[in-house]
Amino acid sequence: MTRTITARLGAGVAALALMAGTAGAQSLMFPIDEGDFNWDSYHEFADATDLSGQSLTISGPWLSVDQELFESVLAYFEEATGADVSYVGSDSFEQQIVIDVEAGSAPNIGVFPQPGLLNTLANRGLVTPMPEGTEEWIAENYAAGQSWVDLATFEGPEGEEDLYGLFYKADVKSLVWYIPENFEDAGYEIPETMEDLKALTEQIVEDGETPWCIGLGSGGATGWPATDWVEDMVLRTQPPEVYDQWVSHEIPFNDERIVNAISEFGYFLQDDFVAGGSQAVASTDFRDSPQGLFSFPPQCYMHHMASFIPSFFPEGTVVGEDADFFYFPAYEEEDLGQPVLGAGTVFAITDENEAANAFMQFLQTPIAHEIWMAQSGFLTPLTTVNTDLFGDPTLGRMNEILLDATTFRFDGSDLMPGAIGAGAFWTGMVDFAGGASAQEAADEIEDAWAAIDQ
Amino acid sequence: MNPVFQGVLAIAVAVAGCGAYFYLSNLFLDRVLYPPTGRDPGRNVNRANAIRPWLFLAPAILFLALYLGYPVIETLRLSVTDRVPGGFVWAGFDNYAQMSRESKFWEAFRNNLLWLIVVPAVSTALGLLVAQLTDRISWGNVAKSLIFMPMAISFVGASVIFKLIYDYRPASQEQIGVLNAVWLQFDGGLASVLVLRVVPGLLLAGFIAAAAWLIWAMLEPVLLGRRKQGALSILLRAALSLGALFLIWRAVTSIIGLALVDLPYGQPQTWLTIPFWNNFFLMVVLIWIQTGFAMVLLSAALRGIPDETVEAAIVDGAGPFQIFFRIKVPQIAGTIAVVWTTITVTVLKVFDIVYAMTNGQWETQVLANYMYDKLFRSNDWGVGSAAAIVIMLLVTPILVWNIYNARREMR
Amino acid sequence: MDNIAGTKSSLTWAVHITVVLLVALWVFPTVGLLVSSFRTGDQISTSGWWRAAFPTEQTMQFRTAGADEAIEEDGVWTLTGNVFDGSGTDPLTISAWGTSSRTPNAYEAGEMVEDDGESWTVLENGDYTYTSTEEPSRRGERFFGSALVAPEFTFGNYQRMLFDPSNVQGMSQAFFNTLTVSIPATIIPIVVAAFAAYALAWMEFPGRALLIAAVVGFLVVPLQLALIPLLRLHNAIGIGKGYMGVWLAHTAFGLPLAIYILRNYMVGLPRDIIENARVDGATDFQIFMRIILPLSFPALAAFAIFQFLWTWNDLLVALVFLIDSSGKTTVMTRQIIELLGTRGGDWEILATAAFVSMAVPLAVFFLMQKYLVRGLLAGSVK
Repeated sequence: MTRTITARLGAGVAALALMAGTAGAQSLMFPIDEGDFNWDSYHEFADATDLSGQSLTISGPWLSVDQELFESVLAYFEEATGADVSYVGSDSFEQQIVIDVEAGSAPNIGVFPQPGLLNTLANRGLVTPMPEGTEEWIAENYAAGQSWVDLATFEGPEGEEDLYGLFYKADVKSLVWYIPENFEDAGYEIPETMEDLKALTEQIVEDGETPWCIGLGSGGATGWPATDWVEDMVLRTQPPEVYDQWVSHEIPFNDERIVNAISEFGYFLQDDFVAGGSQAVASTDFRDSPQGLFSFPPQCYMHHMASFIPSFFPEGTVVGEDADFFYFPAYEEEDLGQPVLGAGTVFAITDENEAANAFMQFLQTPIAHEIWMAQSGFLTPLTTVNTDLFGDPTLGRMNEILLDATTFRFDGSDLMPGAIGAGAFWTGMVDFAGGASAQEAADEIEDAWAAIDQ
Repeated sequence: MNPVFQGVLAIAVAVAGCGAYFYLSNLFLDRVLYPPTGRDPGRNVNRANAIRPWLFLAPAILFLALYLGYPVIETLRLSVTDRVPGGFVWAGFDNYAQMSRESKFWEAFRNNLLWLIVVPAVSTALGLLVAQLTDRISWGNVAKSLIFMPMAISFVGASVIFKLIYDYRPASQEQIGVLNAVWLQFDGGLASVLVLRVVPGLLLAGFIAAAAWLIWAMLEPVLLGRRKQGALSILLRAALSLGALFLIWRAVTSIIGLALVDLPYGQPQTWLTIPFWNNFFLMVVLIWIQTGFAMVLLSAALRGIPDETVEAAIVDGAGPFQIFFRIKVPQIAGTIAVVWTTITVTVLKVFDIVYAMTNGQWETQVLANYMYDKLFRSNDWGVGSAAAIVIMLLVTPILVWNIYNARREMR
Repeated sequence: MDNIAGTKSSLTWAVHITVVLLVALWVFPTVGLLVSSFRTGDQISTSGWWRAAFPTEQTMQFRTAGADEAIEEDGVWTLTGNVFDGSGTDPLTISAWGTSSRTPNAYEAGEMVEDDGESWTVLENGDYTYTSTEEPSRRGERFFGSALVAPEFTFGNYQRMLFDPSNVQGMSQAFFNTLTVSIPATIIPIVVAAFAAYALAWMEFPGRALLIAAVVGFLVVPLQLALIPLLRLHNAIGIGKGYMGVWLAHTAFGLPLAIYILRNYMVGLPRDIIENARVDGATDFQIFMRIILPLSFPALAAFAIFQFLWTWNDLLVALVFLIDSSGKTTVMTRQIIELLGTRGGDWEILATAAFVSMAVPLAVFFLMQKYLVRGLLAGSVK
C-alpha cells in the first residue's frame, strides 16, 4: 500500500506538466526577461553566438524527470543559438559512452557522473581538453574554484596535464530524508549527532518499527548508494587526510580504518534496522527505496541519500513539507567537525565541434544554472547565481550545508579508477550487504585495485 | 531520410544487388572469361565450374571473415596485449594470470558450469517429457504450441516476466510476486515437508539415477571393450562421465542440504539474492524459453520411430515406461545430442538474462556478463578478451563434435 | 483384460492432467504480465494479478481543508468536508480510518475520536469533521482511511505507452525502429546465404569440407567479442552508427545459421531432379533459381522466422551498432531495459512495454509456427 490518493492526483498533474514540458520543446520554462533571472548573461551569450543549422549531441545518465529538467535548460541554448540539440539519457551511460568513444562514434558532449571514468578516457586521448580560459573561469567563479579545477584535471595521452571537464550540477550526499508528520506522529526528534542518530534508530526498533530504507539497486550500477554510506562513515571516523589517502590508494582499501568505516555502515544494515531486512537492501532499487517513507504505516522513517532524490519521491510531494531532510550528523566524540560529502556531474567534450565549445561557454553563464535551480534537484557551486531563485527552500538549505561544512570532500568512488569506483567497490558493497564481512569485502576490493596498479 | 523508406530501399538494393551480382558474374564467367567455345571448350567448362562455387560463396565468405573471423583473431591478439597510452604492448599471459587471480572470474566459471549442466539437461528432459505426453492426445498440438511460445519472447521480455514472478514485498504488505505468494502458504506442516523436501529429494534422486545411467552408458562400451573406440571418443566419454560424476556429487550434497536446511517459513524471500540458489531462479528463465525448442525436435524424432518397433515391444509385454526408456529413447539418442549441444551453445552465449535480472551480483556472475563487465565497465580489454577466449575454449568441444558430425554426414 | 484397460485409461487421465499442468505452468508467467498490463498501478501494488478480478482493500492518505477554510467559534476551529470532493475518483465507502501513520486503520467509520483538544469524525461516505482548539495548519491535517476498491481494468497503460506523444519513455518510436531494423536484417542474409548454401550442398570443389566446418564453427562464436572491432571498422569505412551498420551486423551474425539450415535442407533434395536438369544443359544458376529456391521454401521461411525473432528481440547488437546520441534510433528492448532501471517498481508500465514488444513476435510465431517447426527439423535432424 504505497500509493495515496494524493499520489494519484499528483500523477495527473504531473502528466499535464509533462505534456506542457514537451510541447514546450520550443517554448521555454520561464519567459525570457521575466523574473529575477540573470537574463543579461543570456542575452550576452545569445548575441555572441550563432549556430544556426548546426547540431549538438549530448548523452548522459539522466532519465525521466532529470532528463526533462535538463532539456528545459537545453531549450534556452537552442533559443539563443539556433542550434539543434539532442540529449539521450541512458541508465547504463558508463558502458555506452565507453563503447562509443572507443569506436569513434561518440556524442559531442558526454555528461560524466564520475570523474574517474573521464580520467581513464582522458589518459587514452579520447576526450578533448576544455577550451582556453575555462580553467581560470572556474577558479574565479566557483566556490572553492581550484578544487573543482583539480577534480577535472587529468593527464592526457602524452602525459601533459589539462582540464578536461566542467562541473555542472552538484549534489550534497550527507543527507537523511524523513517525513516530518511521521516524526510528529511518533514523537521523534531530529538527531544532532551520530550518537543521537544511533539512539533514535534503536528507539524506532524498540517501538516495533523499522528505522531505515536502504536500496542499492541501480541496474548496471547496483551498489553505488552503499559507497556513499561508506564514504560518509570514513569522513565521520577519520580525519579528511585519511580519506584522501584512501581515495588515491596511498593506503590500501583493506586498511583497518576503512574496514572499520564499512562496519559502521554495517550497523545500519542490521536485519531489524532496515525495511525488508538486510537481504532486501541490495535488490531494492535506489529509486524505489524512498517509497517506503511514504507508505502507511511507514515501512521506514529515514533514508540516507543525496540531494537529487526528491526527483523520485511520489509525484506531488512537496519537499520541505511532505518530506524533508536533515544533515547526516557527525560523532560528537570524534570531534571531526561537520564533514560533508558531495558530488557533481562533469561535462566533457567527447567529439569536438563549434557547438560543443559554445555549449561549454553557455554552461559558464549564470542563466544556465538558474533555469534548473529554479525548478528542482539542482545545486551549483557557481557563486554568481541568484540564490533567491531556488525552486524550493530546501535547496537553499542544502546550499547552506555545503557552506557550513568544516570539511568538504568529493565522492571518493567517483574519483577512484573506473574498475574500482564503478566496479569492484560496487560489487564489494553488494557482497557486504549480502552477508560478507567488512574485511572480506575490503580484501576483495583491494585485490582488484592491486591488480590494476601493477 | 525516413528510416522506414531507408529500410525498404535497403531491401530492394540488397536483393536486386545480390541477384544482379550472381547473375552477371555467372554470365561473365560463362560468356567472357571461359566461354564453352574456342579451342578447348571442355577445359573451359571445367575451369568455369571450378570458379563458380566461389562466385556463389564470395559474399557469404566476405561477411563471415569480416564479421566473425576477424574479431576472433583480434580478440586473441587483445588477450595477450596490454593497453598503454598510445597503443598496445605484448603482455604474454599476464591477462590470463590476472584473471585467474580474480575470485569473480572463478565464480563466473563455476556458475557457467552449473548453467551448462542444468539448463540443457532440464530443458531436454522436460522437452522429451512433453513431446512424449502430447504425442497421443487429441489437443497435443495446442499444448505444444503453448509450450513452444516462449521461444518468441525476447530475453529482456522474459526477464521482465520473471522479475514480476520473483517480486518481493516486506512481510507486512500484500505480495504481488507469485513465488512469494505461494511461499507464504507453506507453514512448516506436513504438506510443506512433502512439497518442499520429499518431492525435490525424490526428483534429485531420480536425477542421480539418470546421471549414473549416463556414466554407465558412456563407460560400458569402453570397459567391456565390445567395440573398438577411437581416442577422441574415449576422451569424450571420459569427460562426460566426469561431468556426470560431479553432478551426482552436487545432487547428493543438495539432498543432504535439503533435509537439514531450516526453511524460513512465513518470511517473504528476495529470491534473486539468495546465493547459489538464485542461479537456479535465473536458469528457470532460460529453461522456460528453451523447453519448447527441445520439445519440437524430440517430438519429430519420436514420430520418426517406426511403429513396428513399438508394436513388437508391446507384443513382448513391455509396459509404457519400458517402451519409452528401452525402445524410444535409444532410438532418438542422436536428436537428443543435437538438442543438448544447441542449448549448450545458447547457454554459453546468453548474457541478457543475467544482465537484466541481477547483473552478476549476489554470486550469479556468468562468463559472458563477466566479459561484458571487463570490456565496458572496467575498460580492461586484455582481461575481457581473455574471458572471451575462455568462452571460445569452452565451446570448442562442441565445435569439434559438430564439425566431426558434419564431415561424417558428407561422406 | 479389464484390468489392463483400466490402467490404460487411468494412465491416459494422468497424461492429460500432467499436460494441463505443464501448459498452465508455461502460460502462467505470460498471462500474469498480460493481466498486469491492463491494471492500474494502485491495483497492481495492492493485490497480486491472480486476484485482479476481486476488489481490494486500499489505504489512502487524505488531508482536511486548509486553515483558511476553518470556521472559528469560541476558540475552537472546525473543518468539514468530503475526502472525495474534487479528487477525481469515484466516491468509495470508507471502512476504517486513523490519524496516525502508524495506525492508519485504528477507528471504524462513523466513530468519533477525541484527543488532546482535537476531535475527529469520519463517515462511511467520506464526510469528515475535525475540530481543534489550536489553529489548524495551512495545509490541513493529515488522516488516513481504507476502503474497498472495485477491480479496475484499463487501456490507459497502452494509451500512455503507445499513443501519448508527450511520453518521452513511450514505445511508439521504438516500435517502428525495431521494425525498421528487423525486416531488412531478415531478408538480406537469406539472399546471401541461399547461394552459399547451394554451393556447399551441390557443387564439388576443393575446400568445401573446410568451409562447412568453418560455418559450423562460426555457429558457436560468442558475438560479444565481435562488437568493438566491428564498430571501429564501421566507423573507419564511414558507416558509423545507424541502420546500415545494424543491418550488416545482423546479416553477418545470422549467416552461419542460415547457411547451415539451408544447406542441410538442400542436401536432402532429391539428387535426380538436379542431375536431370544438369543433363538437360541447365547451368548452376538456372538450377538454383528454378529448382532449388522454390523447393527450399520451407527452410527459407523457417530461417526467416528465426532471424526475425532474433533481430526483433536483440538488445546487444542494437546497443552497439545502432543506438546513437541522436535519440531517434532507440529500439524496444533497450527502452524496456531503461524502464527497468528508472521505473523498476511501476509494473503497469513495465508490463505494458514488455507486452508491446512481444505482440509482433507472438503473432508471427502463432501464424508461421508450421514453417518454424519444419525448418528446425530441416536444420537439425538428419
